[in-house]
Amino acid sequence: MTTKLKRFALTLATLAATGLPHVGARAEGATEPVKGGTLVYLEQQAHTNLYPPAGGFYPNGGILNQITDKLTYQNPKTLEIEPWIAESWTVNAAATEYTFKIRPGVTFSDGTPLDAAAVAKNYDVFGLGNKALKHPVSEVINNYERSEVIDPLTVKFYFKKPSPGFLQGTSVIGSGLVAASTLALPFEELGDATRIIGSGPFVVESETIGKELSLKAREEYNWGPVKLAHQGRAYLDGITYIVTGEDSVRIGALLAGQADFIRQVQAYDESQVEAQDYQIYAPSTRGVNNSVVFRPDNPLVADVKVRQALLHATDAKEIVTTLFSANYPQATSIIASSALGYKDISAKLAFDPEKAKALLSEAGWSVGSNGLRQKDGKELVLTAYESLPQPQNKETLQLVAQQWGKVGVKLNVLAGDSGSRTVDDLDPLKTPVSPAMVGRADPDVIKSQYYPKNRDVLRQKGGLSDKVQSFVDDKLNGLLEALASEPDRAKRLAIAGEIQDYVVDQAYAIPIFEEPQAYAGAPYVQGVAFEAVGRPSFYSTWLAEH
Amino acid sequence: MSAYLLNRVGQALFVLWAAFTISFVLLQAMPGDAILIKFQNPDLGLTAQQVAEIRSSYAADSPVLVQYVQTIGKFLTGNFGYSVQAGVPVSTLLAAHLPATLKLATLGFLLASVLAVVIAFLSSLTPFTWLRGALQSVPSLFISIPTFWLGIMLIQIFSFRLKLVPVINPGPWQELILPVVTLAVPISAPLAQVLVRTIDEVMTRPFVGVARAKGANRHWILWRHVAKNALLPTLTIAGVLFGELIAGAVVTETVFGLNGIGGLTERAVGSQDAAVLQAIVVLSALAFVIINLAVDLLYPVLDPRLRTKVGVAA
Repeated sequence: MTTKLKRFALTLATLAATGLPHVGARAEGATEPVKGGTLVYLEQQAHTNLYPPAGGFYPNGGILNQITDKLTYQNPKTLEIEPWIAESWTVNAAATEYTFKIRPGVTFSDGTPLDAAAVAKNYDVFGLGNKALKHPVSEVINNYERSEVIDPLTVKFYFKKPSPGFLQGTSVIGSGLVAASTLALPFEELGDATRIIGSGPFVVESETIGKELSLKAREEYNWGPVKLAHQGRAYLDGITYIVTGEDSVRIGALLAGQADFIRQVQAYDESQVEAQDYQIYAPSTRGVNNSVVFRPDNPLVADVKVRQALLHATDAKEIVTTLFSANYPQATSIIASSALGYKDISAKLAFDPEKAKALLSEAGWSVGSNGLRQKDGKELVLTAYESLPQPQNKETLQLVAQQWGKVGVKLNVLAGDSGSRTVDDLDPLKTPVSPAMVGRADPDVIKSQYYPKNRDVLRQKGGLSDKVQSFVDDKLNGLLEALASEPDRAKRLAIAGEIQDYVVDQAYAIPIFEEPQAYAGAPYVQGVAFEAVGRPSFYSTWLAEH
Repeated sequence: MSAYLLNRVGQALFVLWAAFTISFVLLQAMPGDAILIKFQNPDLGLTAQQVAEIRSSYAADSPVLVQYVQTIGKFLTGNFGYSVQAGVPVSTLLAAHLPATLKLATLGFLLASVLAVVIAFLSSLTPFTWLRGALQSVPSLFISIPTFWLGIMLIQIFSFRLKLVPVINPGPWQELILPVVTLAVPISAPLAQVLVRTIDEVMTRPFVGVARAKGANRHWILWRHVAKNALLPTLTIAGVLFGELIAGAVVTETVFGLNGIGGLTERAVGSQDAAVLQAIVVLSALAFVIINLAVDLLYPVLDPRLRTKVGVAA
């Protein structure tokens, strides 16, 4: 089932079903939130394991964000960290000791108190993992050493090295607090949503695995983020998540009044939704932009001139205008313009095919008889695997391949099964080029992406892969370590800027666009909020008369 | 008869074992495995060392033979293990997904049979040659309609436009109407094709000529003489169609968001969720064996000439 065929079928189907009657007129100046009602939310994929640090997977995050609370709240507009379950906190100058005062009276939905001991237990697992129960370590917590319960409502965390990103790390979905009974379960049993006991505004009521999940509002909930206008119980009585894999069915169901809110709307379907007065929501994921990265360990792309040539051969504007919409802004740096520490380096990202050709010739790659660049009998042929979670990634890579083709470089775009992709992606010789992106609203996200001990997208020696021969960039790694351990905020943001310059100067990455998460909602759905990286929060959502 | 049955049961057990072993070998031969796919996922951002620790805690790197013996031992005691990807026991997954597929497959097959019989009988009874030609080309049309497209069209027209059946939150039987039609169309094509060909072939046999000479009309011949004879090849095809049914179910379940084994299989293949796949393979093999055994046992009932072959048991 190719996307092309699918789209052709969709077009036909849409033509056949034109003139959908108009459901749900715009809510007339409704300002007073209405209580009650159940939101029908269509998800593209079934959730997987709901261990909170695995909340990066969108379907998981969309559920965890309603049923768990976090120590702190990151204001999605200002990106400032505000109180939530923690009333206040202190951090020492070196950012190696954090002390949190816990709000009194908070309970998990099983009745157990959410106190200092419970918080300590959560962070010990997230920070150190649990080998016996196979719980992996959370990506957002660096250098964690231990916790200490000072009194029933005060908890202190110690770090082996400065960890300035930890405060923001307490606000992310992956740091959702769960009850002791949940943490006592082995990892392989955490896929059962009914066993994820949180303290959030909604509680899992029932679940049909792989198909449907019902949440109901928790009546006594009264501990949302302090600075939110809405306090107390959620307005909605419940939320029904229904897994609907087919794009056209999700959109059709929304427009036909069978659903209220849907996730994952492709750019080419946006106009169809907006034409009916429905709303597209496209919150930014505020992290590392959707990019193409190189694995310099592969001799073909080891020369910085070759990488720079391909950077200038890439026309990000054409990609954005051809495949996407205004909700996908063209990248002007390796991180989003709304990200912390962003620096505009668009001047270095100019599309310039003539320069690209000149650079390739300088590097010794001349055009052969078949139009491909050659050097010492080798052709400049590269390979990349498409990434399924990224929007229209295959089409993006194919367009990049076309653009590179104009300067005599061939890029093979492979679909491949997950197994081959996972294995080949560890080998720079097999996969010299790769799509990449990651969302998190803290400068640490850059380290997450590039540092060999984290995601290691450049595949350095001593990182994730034992297939790497020799490539290491000590300068980059030094900057990344400094970024993750510089307690002074201004200095830290300056380092973030330096890294953005350095990565693009070295042409390790070709940033393409700022990736949003695209949702669509009926006009009567009010008050949908998104946390800092685009996961929905339905705490303040209400349904107007319709 | 009992010796025959014992023989068949022995064969069935062999098929089950072979299916289990072949799927095990294939999964081992494929690059990567479920643990790698799950934990090497950049979303988790685990270090190489952490991934290695997880692998050893799952015993993913122990010798293949040891893994094989352990898995088969667990299977024999009815323990299908856990799904690495979904984080729930495989038995829970199967229990959640099996009912939808059983309903879909059974009803889809029944409707396909009705469609096939209607097409075949109408085409051989109709006095108009143009209609006969049209009806005989229906199977080729049916088999070439892409299942997913048909599904999407049905949803767009009957659910979104005419609002006859909801696709979201439908009733237990409502949710099956459109998927059953979607699945029945491609399945009915080979059935109808075989039925049409067999009817044509049987019509040329001498006994039909005899019946005609006795003054029987076309209807009488078709119902009294030809139908029974045409059933055998059709029944054989029906047994073989089981695989087709499962494949069609994958697409249909995906389009309609039905919670069935087809969709589960597709996801499990994608993430190489070995425990889930092995259970599904064994289950499918079991179903296949049972269906074909039923078909074999029906032959003598339908065709007296085959009864002697079976009834020699002492």
